[in-house]
Amino acid sequence: MPTLREVQAAFARGIAFADEDEALGMIEADGIGAAGRLSVYRNTYRSTLVAALRQVYPAVERLVGAEFFEGAALPYVAGEPPGSAYLNEYGGGFAGFLAEFAPAAALPYLADVARLEWAASQAANAPDAPALDPVALARLDAAEQAEASLRPHPSVRLIALAYPAERIWRAVRERDDAALAALDPRPDPHWLLVQRRDDGLGMRTLARAEGDFTAQLFLGVRLGEALERFPGAEFPALLAEHLACGRFAAPEESSR
Amino acid sequence: MSSAPLPSGPGSGPIPARAGIGLRFAHHRAVLDGRPGAAWFEVHAENYMGGGEAIRILDSVRRDYPVSLHGIGLSLGSAEGINALHLLRVKALAERVQPGLISEHLSWSASGGTYLADLLPLPMTEEALDIVCRNIDIAQSALGQRILIENPSSYLRFRHSILPEWEFLAAVAARTGCGILCDVNNIFVSASNHGWDALAYLDALPAGAIGEFHLAGHTARELEDGRVLRIDDHGSAVAEPVWELYEAALARFGARPTLIEWDNRIPEFAVLMGEAARAQTLLDRAEGARHADAA
Repeated sequence: MPTLREVQAAFARGIAFADEDEALGMIEADGIGAAGRLSVYRNTYRSTLVAALRQVYPAVERLVGAEFFEGAALPYVAGEPPGSAYLNEYGGGFAGFLAEFAPAAALPYLADVARLEWAASQAANAPDAPALDPVALARLDAAEQAEASLRPHPSVRLIALAYPAERIWRAVRERDDAALAALDPRPDPHWLLVQRRDDGLGMRTLARAEGDFTAQLFLGVRLGEALERFPGAEFPALLAEHLACGRFAAPEESSR
Repeated sequence: MSSAPLPSGPGSGPIPARAGIGLRFAHHRAVLDGRPGAAWFEVHAENYMGGGEAIRILDSVRRDYPVSLHGIGLSLGSAEGINALHLLRVKALAERVQPGLISEHLSWSASGGTYLADLLPLPMTEEALDIVCRNIDIAQSALGQRILIENPSSYLRFRHSILPEWEFLAAVAARTGCGILCDVNNIFVSASNHGWDALAYLDALPAGAIGEFHLAGHTARELEDGRVLRIDDHGSAVAEPVWELYEAALARFGARPTLIEWDNRIPEFAVLMGEAARAQTLLDRAEGARHADAA
């Protein structure tokens, strides 16, 4: 008699990894064959995860159509099964998968649209947390400010893009075919900052140096050091904008 | 084993023995704007584990209605134990929402770190019974309250099962002190798929442990050889024979909180209110019969 652990390992292989022989041997056939019975669960597994990806990547789906989307989602699901029932966290590797997915090679910007949608989804579902109060930072003296190391607010995502993904995304969302046809999807490397705000999602395009500077701040590089590395006048102004827009998290209670 | 009764959710209004509705995102707006006369709502815990708009909406619903948290991801039947991170997320949500009830399933969904996105059946063995009871003990102790466990719909049975599902479920309730969420549609679907007697299933459940009923729609899928496999897809109105089984359950157990669930091909909110009204009529009739018996 198999142990429960053996049963569950065999079923996981049969449902998620299409290796079903061992699981089939454990099932009472009883009129309907064991394979037919197991396939009910495998179908639910696949359709639930494809639906979860559709939820996160609606613009990708509209760009390629439902059938093509499913044709990409199924091999992605087969290669990257979810680790937990919190499916808002599932599908982060889909952009990378699309970048390598040969049938999508004619749409080089597709992976960037997926990157944007993942960032938007992560920002929308991020935990609530207080933002850093700019006044608290302003109260520090100059030396303390230079030493300060900040953390991004959980609802902020910074992504590096090669294509004008935001314009494509907006045109797709608004079903603006004219705008979509007029787009110039040539490479245009830049950064995009995505932030959940009370009135919805905010997006802020950053030029390369601005994005590099912001990435340094988000990695916790001390303010003095970051401003030394980026000496232009636009960088203190950008820091002020990030602070005013609540893009940094308040320090944890315990470290106050 | 913890056999002492656990307190229900601290500070929460209890879920009334009336007809409630499973709240889905498609109806957030209708509920916020219309404040319909639903008796209570039940939500899937996994849909509210992040920040932002969804949880704010749930906070708002909670201010006006009793709310029950229904988990689908704890995988209480997993031999490798419960995912601790997931349990902590349920706990954090319960602390925020202060639900009148918390429920989960007699099933498993994860193995070797892979989430299988369905409520899978357990082999009905003594070993599985021990494991489920241990996991429920852990969950109830972490959540600080009694939970309800729902009987699943199933499409297969294991060759090495030795206990009937109803005995297994009754033993889980007896050993852990948990309640039973009696999903009437699931009993109907599983009984049809496995040739069980649905009324005998009801008869075998301990009345005192029944804390809630679920009602939902299912589909009958005809296979190539003409046999029918019923699939619990929550994509239609409650079927007539399920209403009949619900009446039989009310006659046996009395009125309990009763939920209308509809998760696929979701209709207008008014359709759910109509289904809830039908359940409420049967609940009222069951209460009336009880009072007549007592008089």
